[in-house]
Amino acid sequence: MIQEIQNLFGPVYGWILAMGIAVSLSCAVLGSFLVVRKMSLIGDAISHAVLPGLAIAFLFSGSRATIPMLLGAIAMGMTTSFLIEFVSQKSFIKKDAATGIVFTSLFAIGVILISLFADKIDLDQECVLYGEITFIPLEPHFYLGNLDLGPYPFVIMSGVCLVVVLVVILFYKELVLTSFDPALALSLGVPVTFIHYLLMGLVSTTIVSAFESVGAILVVAMLIAPAATAYLLTNRFSKMLLLASLFAVLNTFFGLYFAIRLDASVAGGIAVAGFAFFLLAFLFSPSQGLVSRAIKRA
Amino acid sequence: MPRLRLKTLKADNSMLSILAVKIGEITETFFLEQIVRFLRFEDPSLVTSLFGCVLLGAVLSLLGSFMVLRKMSLMGDTLGHAVLPGICVAFMLTGQKALLSTFAGAMISGLLGVLLIGWIVRYSRIKPDAALGMILSSFFGLGIVFLTMIQKTGTGNASGLDKFLFGQAAALSRSDVTALAVVTLICLFLVLVFYKELKLASFDPHFAAVLGLPVGLLQTLLMILTTVAVVASIQAVGVVLVSAMLIIPPATALLFVKRVSSMLILAIFLGMISGFFGAFLSFLGPSLPTGPFMVVCAAFFFGLAFLFAPAHGIAVVFFKRRARRSRTIRENILKSIYHFFEGKNFAEERVTLEDLAAFRSETVLEIKKSVKSLVGKKWVQKEGDWIAFTQGGKDLAVQLVRRHRLWELFLVKEAMLPADHVHADAEELEHILPESVMRELEDSLKHAKFDPHGKPIPS
Amino acid sequence: MILKNFPPIELHDVTVSYHRRPVLWNVDLKIPEGKLIGVIGPNGAGKSTLIKAIMGLLPLSSGWIQVYGKSAKEQRGILGYVPQKESVDWDFPVTVKDVVMMGRYGKIGLIKRASKQDRRIVGACLEKLGISSFADRQISQLSGGQQQRVFLARALAQESEIYLMDEPFVGVDAATESAIILLLKELKNQGKTVLVVNHDLQTAQSYYDDILMLNMRVVVFGPTRQVMTTEWLHKTYGGRLKILTDAAAAVENAQG
Repeated sequence: MIQEIQNLFGPVYGWILAMGIAVSLSCAVLGSFLVVRKMSLIGDAISHAVLPGLAIAFLFSGSRATIPMLLGAIAMGMTTSFLIEFVSQKSFIKKDAATGIVFTSLFAIGVILISLFADKIDLDQECVLYGEITFIPLEPHFYLGNLDLGPYPFVIMSGVCLVVVLVVILFYKELVLTSFDPALALSLGVPVTFIHYLLMGLVSTTIVSAFESVGAILVVAMLIAPAATAYLLTNRFSKMLLLASLFAVLNTFFGLYFAIRLDASVAGGIAVAGFAFFLLAFLFSPSQGLVSRAIKRA
Repeated sequence: MPRLRLKTLKADNSMLSILAVKIGEITETFFLEQIVRFLRFEDPSLVTSLFGCVLLGAVLSLLGSFMVLRKMSLMGDTLGHAVLPGICVAFMLTGQKALLSTFAGAMISGLLGVLLIGWIVRYSRIKPDAALGMILSSFFGLGIVFLTMIQKTGTGNASGLDKFLFGQAAALSRSDVTALAVVTLICLFLVLVFYKELKLASFDPHFAAVLGLPVGLLQTLLMILTTVAVVASIQAVGVVLVSAMLIIPPATALLFVKRVSSMLILAIFLGMISGFFGAFLSFLGPSLPTGPFMVVCAAFFFGLAFLFAPAHGIAVVFFKRRARRSRTIRENILKSIYHFFEGKNFAEERVTLEDLAAFRSETVLEIKKSVKSLVGKKWVQKEGDWIAFTQGGKDLAVQLVRRHRLWELFLVKEAMLPADHVHADAEELEHILPESVMRELEDSLKHAKFDPHGKPIPS
Repeated sequence: MILKNFPPIELHDVTVSYHRRPVLWNVDLKIPEGKLIGVIGPNGAGKSTLIKAIMGLLPLSSGWIQVYGKSAKEQRGILGYVPQKESVDWDFPVTVKDVVMMGRYGKIGLIKRASKQDRRIVGACLEKLGISSFADRQISQLSGGQQQRVFLARALAQESEIYLMDEPFVGVDAATESAIILLLKELKNQGKTVLVVNHDLQTAQSYYDDILMLNMRVVVFGPTRQVMTTEWLHKTYGGRLKILTDAAAAVENAQG
């Protein structure tokens, strides 16, 4: 067992662990905002709806180059978020139904595009949807001068993670205020719509960058699970962010460990680890836990 | 040697990754021939999958209607994902994809997921959206873990579990379709039997509980039925598109109708049509997937409804407003003619284009155009250079002026607004107020004869 | 910026609609400076709508609103807002202090952090409302009255010239009620203008300098003693609304 844990930090799994942590961290930070904004499912929606964006980007650029892919995905993420608002405002369809309509339709269009142009679009559908972190190419490495920064996917994901953290630090105040009381934010002159789309843009970017590693559905687990767990454990948003990040690291570590032991999907393992921590918090959180409260009452 | 292990898994995966659902591949001929072939319904495997698509469109739309009504649209999506670990465990235990064990496994894990969502929302401060997302993704994650473990055993392909995400309508066997038909009939039967209970429990669960209806039981029944329908459909269209069929046709129906019963019927109809066209379109070319075409059809109908639904379609609203604007302009000119006559104490009820243009401070050319449209409406008639009301036009003008002046009087007398404020408001409402409100106005104003500016109110 | 030649709030011929249905008709108002004003009227009379329209949170169908001679947008810095308590999620993981600090965000500006001065002001506002001892508590752990005090402290932290409060007395205990009254009086003594939507006619009678009676339009606006008569109350709360409501429905229908 000790040997296996050491393996996790070794040359092969070390990068996978680092990659997983970069993905989970970005997700956990953004997910914390989604959870308190009651928008958890927008992650699910965007992660499916970017498929046509990827397909179109691929058709135009003819390759899986990172920049067109990212642009296509961000554009599609914004479109999704806009369409959901549009449909729910211009008709009496509720927001959750609007979400379901928009993302499933876009997803279907994506699948059709890919199969129509199957010979031109070399997108591995299974990969986009399931993802497998152990398949990410570890070679070549990215060098900054002589400095070895690690494999390309890792460098990109770390970059995304850095941008996410930076934006959140810069706009922390505004993000929290618009989440808590958008009316007050509007009356104080905070650009509420801009902040909303900024967040959506970050979520889309993160989701697309994470596709290869974890896939469209399990990225939702990474967005929600650490944030929801942290939400049960603290009363301050700043602490919630830190705790969510901590759980992101723990989930990745345990998820990877058990996935290797069981010879199973790593992303799945991370999702299950996240759920396990959530259940623990749900039952035993000092202030919120089901069991703790029952004991207090007894 | 971990890399080696991964390589074999990759090879396995890419075999699965050939995009599913290619009814078209059953037969490959030319486009038009394909259409003819399709419409003859001779190809038995085509007929089977066509039946399957239409049936699943119907049953998913039926059950999805209740979810949409209860504002739990995404419950179906969650349910669809949450059944995966159950299906995998059933496969691991029995070693085969048997209908009964698959249903049992799916049912257990699906219902467990629903139960957990309920608990999380009730016993913690987690909101429903996060609880749904939580269960959806973590159950699915667990399923993926099991799935990857099954694939290692080498029986993975036999399990058919790889069709979970995209489905494969062409792979529907006769017995699958029979099962789907049975499920549809059972659902239809139970919904008919418990129709009014389900309706009330969806609309107002608290009131239903007060009436002594077993709300919890009804909800469980609905969840069980939905789980069964979802499991029966997943291998044809895949999990994401199952949620689409649960939401889109009912939401489309909701844009048209006001009653639950008509919503159900319309939703089922839309679901079936989408199923039919989905199968048809994917038949037209090689390697075209059925499920996504079904969903795109459903989405197309939704788009049409969103634009053109009689009451609230946005295009309908747009055209209504435009029509109202041009009517308002016409009516204003009609009113001007009345005012012109009134200024002359109705001594002579006709006016020249030049005088009317001067009266309205417009050019003769503009007035000429407007009067033409009034003539077209048969509100006025032209006798040489003179313009005069027709009987209908005169009645309408009197109505407009009456509405205008009554509303002004109401605002001043009863709403206590200053007299110089009421004109703009009356300008708008004179084109809108229905006769019923006019009666109320007259009654409350005791059939007054003059407006706040001292002008007579015609009748 | 305060332009002394202008009234704190002026509405001219303002009509506000929700989903195209007019809820306030042709409102003309000039709110005098330094007064405590109660807004009363039946449910659906447009009281909250009036407040939100002044805050610039709702689009106007017609007319204009000025705050000290300028638009609300330009005058954000001098408008303090106390929304209805239900308008936010009280499970949100923020502490009392965090929420009160939000009142300073307009002054702090985008991206920048709170200064020592901001913290001192927040501390003072907490003190004034008697909630310093809960400063680090999460807001769901407060009673209804305490939650209302948090909102008031937050508005106070905005250091505004004009305060608009939407039903601050709903669901509060007697102690909070008298704390709010005290605060209102103090604001008035400092020369601030305060507009309070009030449900309870009893309290309205004794607290306010002026009363604005609203029922889809301004029924009457004047000194409390003059307008708190059975006749005006009857005009505000009794009948007559039906025609306005029917007309509003007709407008909504006509516009689809």
